[in-house]
Amino acid sequence: MAVAREAAPVESAEEVREADLDREDLIQIYRHMLITRGIEERGHILYRQGKIPGSFYTGRGNEGAAVGVATAMRVDDVGTPIQRDMGVHVARGTEPWRIFAQYMGRSGGPAAGKDGNVHMADIRLGLIAMVSHLPAMLPVATGCALAFKMRGEHRVAVGWCGDGAAARGDAHEAMNLAGVRHLPIVFIIDNNQYAYSTPNRLEYGVDHLADRAEAYGFEGVVVDGTDVLTVYREAHRAIEKAREGGGPTLLELVTLRMEGHAVHDDAFYVPRELLEAYGRKDPIERYRRWLKEQSILDEVAEDAISADVKKLLNDAVRQAEESPVPEPAALGEGVYADPEELDTPHHR
Amino acid sequence: MTTTTTTKTYLQAISDGLREEMRRDGRVFLIGEDIGVYGGAFKVTQGFLQEFGEDRVIDSPLSETAIVGSCTGAALMGMRPVCEMQFSDFVSCAFDQLVTVAAKQHYRVGTPVPIVVRLPSGGGFSGGPFHSQNPEGFFAHCPGLKIACPATPADAKGLIVQAIRDPNPVLFFEHKHLYRRIKGEVPDGEHSVELGQARLHREGSDISIITYGAMVYTAEEAAQQAEERDGTSVEIVDLRTVTPWDRQAVLESAAKTSKVIVLHEDTHTSGFGAEIAATIAEEAFEDLDGPVLRVTAPDTPVPFSPPLEKAFLPQTEDVLAAIDKLASY
Amino acid sequence: MSTGTLVDVVMPQMGVSVSEGTITRWAKAVGDSIEADETIVEISTDKVDTEVPSPASGIIRELLAEEGETVPVNTRIAVIATGDAASEPAPAPADEPAAQATQPASPEDTETAPAPEAPAAGQPGEPPAPEAPGPGPSAQAQTQAPANGDAEGRAFVSPVVARMLAEHKLDINRIPGTGRGGRVTKKDVQAFIDSGGQAAAAPAPPPPPEVHDVPHFAPPAEPAPQPPAAPAQPAAPAAAPAPAPVVADGEQEIYQFNTIRKVIARHMRHSLDTAAHVTTVIEVDMTGVVNLRRRWKPEYQRRYGVNLTYIPFVARATIDAIGRWPWVNAEVQGESAVIKKYVNLGMAVAVDDAKGLMVPVIHRAEEKNLVGLSRSVVDLADRARTKTLTPDEMSGGTFTITNPGVFGALIGTPIIPEGQVAILDVEAIVKRPVVVTDEHGNDAIAIRSMMFLCLSYDHRLVDGAYAAQFMAQVKENLESWDENAFGL
Repeated sequence: MAVAREAAPVESAEEVREADLDREDLIQIYRHMLITRGIEERGHILYRQGKIPGSFYTGRGNEGAAVGVATAMRVDDVGTPIQRDMGVHVARGTEPWRIFAQYMGRSGGPAAGKDGNVHMADIRLGLIAMVSHLPAMLPVATGCALAFKMRGEHRVAVGWCGDGAAARGDAHEAMNLAGVRHLPIVFIIDNNQYAYSTPNRLEYGVDHLADRAEAYGFEGVVVDGTDVLTVYREAHRAIEKAREGGGPTLLELVTLRMEGHAVHDDAFYVPRELLEAYGRKDPIERYRRWLKEQSILDEVAEDAISADVKKLLNDAVRQAEESPVPEPAALGEGVYADPEELDTPHHR
Repeated sequence: MTTTTTTKTYLQAISDGLREEMRRDGRVFLIGEDIGVYGGAFKVTQGFLQEFGEDRVIDSPLSETAIVGSCTGAALMGMRPVCEMQFSDFVSCAFDQLVTVAAKQHYRVGTPVPIVVRLPSGGGFSGGPFHSQNPEGFFAHCPGLKIACPATPADAKGLIVQAIRDPNPVLFFEHKHLYRRIKGEVPDGEHSVELGQARLHREGSDISIITYGAMVYTAEEAAQQAEERDGTSVEIVDLRTVTPWDRQAVLESAAKTSKVIVLHEDTHTSGFGAEIAATIAEEAFEDLDGPVLRVTAPDTPVPFSPPLEKAFLPQTEDVLAAIDKLASY
Repeated sequence: MSTGTLVDVVMPQMGVSVSEGTITRWAKAVGDSIEADETIVEISTDKVDTEVPSPASGIIRELLAEEGETVPVNTRIAVIATGDAASEPAPAPADEPAAQATQPASPEDTETAPAPEAPAAGQPGEPPAPEAPGPGPSAQAQTQAPANGDAEGRAFVSPVVARMLAEHKLDINRIPGTGRGGRVTKKDVQAFIDSGGQAAAAPAPPPPPEVHDVPHFAPPAEPAPQPPAAPAQPAAPAAAPAPAPVVADGEQEIYQFNTIRKVIARHMRHSLDTAAHVTTVIEVDMTGVVNLRRRWKPEYQRRYGVNLTYIPFVARATIDAIGRWPWVNAEVQGESAVIKKYVNLGMAVAVDDAKGLMVPVIHRAEEKNLVGLSRSVVDLADRARTKTLTPDEMSGGTFTITNPGVFGALIGTPIIPEGQVAILDVEAIVKRPVVVTDEHGNDAIAIRSMMFLCLSYDHRLVDGAYAAQFMAQVKENLESWDENAFGL
């Protein structure tokens, strides 16, 4: 018994213009998605070459969902993206070389080697670094929204979690508090249908995770996560609603996790047919086709963008490799903050 | 510049500290269960809703995770949140937010998390296993957190003020049994106490007792009795904070008396006393004229029935027995 | 991973818990060319099967693992020659065994450091070696017998005590222990140090003197600076003060006072400066005692194993007299007299071939009969000579008896020990012709064993008449020895 609204797909360029996206924006979205995928593909190779320690996670198939939401955020909004949301880091302006440095555990990464893979964020870009115990960042996002409301600021917090993490109490408490206090926050559930090897049917009992929003007193929307424009439209709507004092929204962005939970996982448990079906709905492919159909992108421009992205990533890898490995002496630094670190505008 | 003082209860001192900071800094706000309309389960925040409004005194749903987590988020956005766990025992519901998120954020990505978690702690009134604990040991073990355990009203005010100003997550343990029982002189006006500085509660030459929280008073009783009985001179060092703790003061006292008792109300195994004892053994070995003794609660949950609870909590006699054992060693 | 223009290919770690991988198929052979990112090898791990892209473009120089071989993560599995190196001839086929694991953790780290030597010194239970300066004789307590408490209790040395002993170069055997089982505690050591290393309130034997040669003098019995005793000295000191000579030439030898000598000098002077010394002499007919002694001596030897001398008789007689004249067993403190209700009898003992003097104290002597006193006297004298007295046995005296008569002196004016008001010299027993009166009142000359007793007393407290009457009582006790009262 579904309760949440299912978002209708974006049909026309008209709709897109109404959503405040011009040609530049549309190209930028495409570029961001390419960079996102490129970083992860490149990183995967580096990982298999032994240049990246630990584990390697990708959000292949989630590029549209991530970039779509991030594009709808304003500059002084904040977010708590998770491991499938590389696109958020890219769209908010994180430099690719720093992402590679992060993967490689170099000093130039946002965590300077203290944490790895996607446990990174630059707070100056309005992003808060995730932890492994998901969705622990949802209460944190709720707290950001609480601060905005208390100060009367027109800023919005966006909190991400996955279809598995949504089963934990943190999600419930965060959403409940947000609903009770009518906070300016948008909850994003990246529902890629598998939490490691656990399919949705073993993860929750409702038809849609977005159905839960009603239990907290706000609206839930189910969105085709492979459709970047629809994602953008819904995210834009929800974010602006929150900004205007309309309270929280829960957006469930449905995709399929196209690679394993991490790249060491070959995801044998995902049916081939499902993978093939979603392969055909690849967000970047879809979007590229639409751009071409709308004559926003042609072959020449496409090649130019591809070459540019490739060069960007090659340079980024090289720059990351030049970033120094952290000194063992740095181990003990930063356990505690100094008073001087407060009251510096670490968020613009 | 002379400071006047006023006699206040431990509880009033905490209220005053909170109130003064909230008046001084508009970024400070309170969140917890029943702290607004009800004034807090122990009435620490009575009158605060009326003075500061419901935006700054938030009656939260029953959600320790969301309470602490939202404080972290608000702190990252520049606020100075002070939350309350209605009983320290409930902090286990927020363990993950404290240990996983708040404690590690600065280390990982350089962003300070200036939050305060107030925790009414301790036993002595048949609160039973879930309303009587002293859980500081769990968090002393977590790098990135700070812990305050004041014993006197003056320190309670000074430390709550400093905790609010500290850029790190601070767990502030208010011993419930001291709330109204203990009165003392509290400086009027601005008063803060540095974290990591012990206070010499009682000067002595024969035996040192290193302690904190409510046990400071148990130590005092034992010390007085020991002195009256046979002149044994007992020194009492009140740590005041568990993380960071004043190693220097403890080692100096150990060097002075060469006989040390570590006393806390928390249970025995891996209680913070073990850390103190190990440090003394490592760094003051050649100053010792007897073994380092620990007087603590035993390794059981806190029992409910009064005779059981009395057997559980360290009593004056237990401290005296330790004094005697060391004095005659 | 590049070594010059040679690039290593390593077994990647495909997942956090993966520790090894298996080569399933080499996509290239030695000598083949390869492009960067082109698949060089297929591998299998327990998580996933995958292809490994080449890290560089060049010529395959070496393959270091065989198909089917399982190697740990990070093992070098191939070498690619890039750039100029690509054109160099390959080295002879590797003698290295396949999959030579040059682990990042290099093998030379595996030579374990030699086990740390167990700390040799400073085991608890061993007294630390005190660095007593030089051989000085009497000043050092040579024996290691525990002075008080059980051997085990005393044997335990706590860390702080060990440190203090070492820092101050102290001999633990000189320090009384008040801790459990007689353990020497930190306070005991501190008290010992505070007292200047001499016996203080709970006195200990003084520390070894600073000069090498400490001839002649044993450490004085109660050389305490404060309340208790100055060493009881006979009027003529038995030996010359003899620290090591500092300047020696044909005409004279100069000896600097050592610590003990200084203390003795100070105490002697202080006693004379403080107490109002008066000496009164009485003559005692010891013939009866001499006979008694002769008669009882074998019995004492047989029954008690004790050599009976005259001193126990004098001691017993004195103690009884004190009972009737208690003010000679007292202490002047300011303008108060502290009358002691017990008698701790100091007994001067010549030691070191009569070149030294010690004054052990029989505590609670009033509780002892002749046997007890005999035993104590003999025992203390023996142990004084063998330097095995405890500090308790050297202090706390309330009345002192000294016996220069053993050397033949007839009359003396001894100096009163500090903290006491009287000292009794027991002079030589000499056979002399004296006038005796029989029961009828007839006088005759008889040969009697006569002895002078000389009492120096403090006239601030004790007046002449009192002292004289005390002495008269002693005399009477000795001359009319009541075998029942004072006997066996």
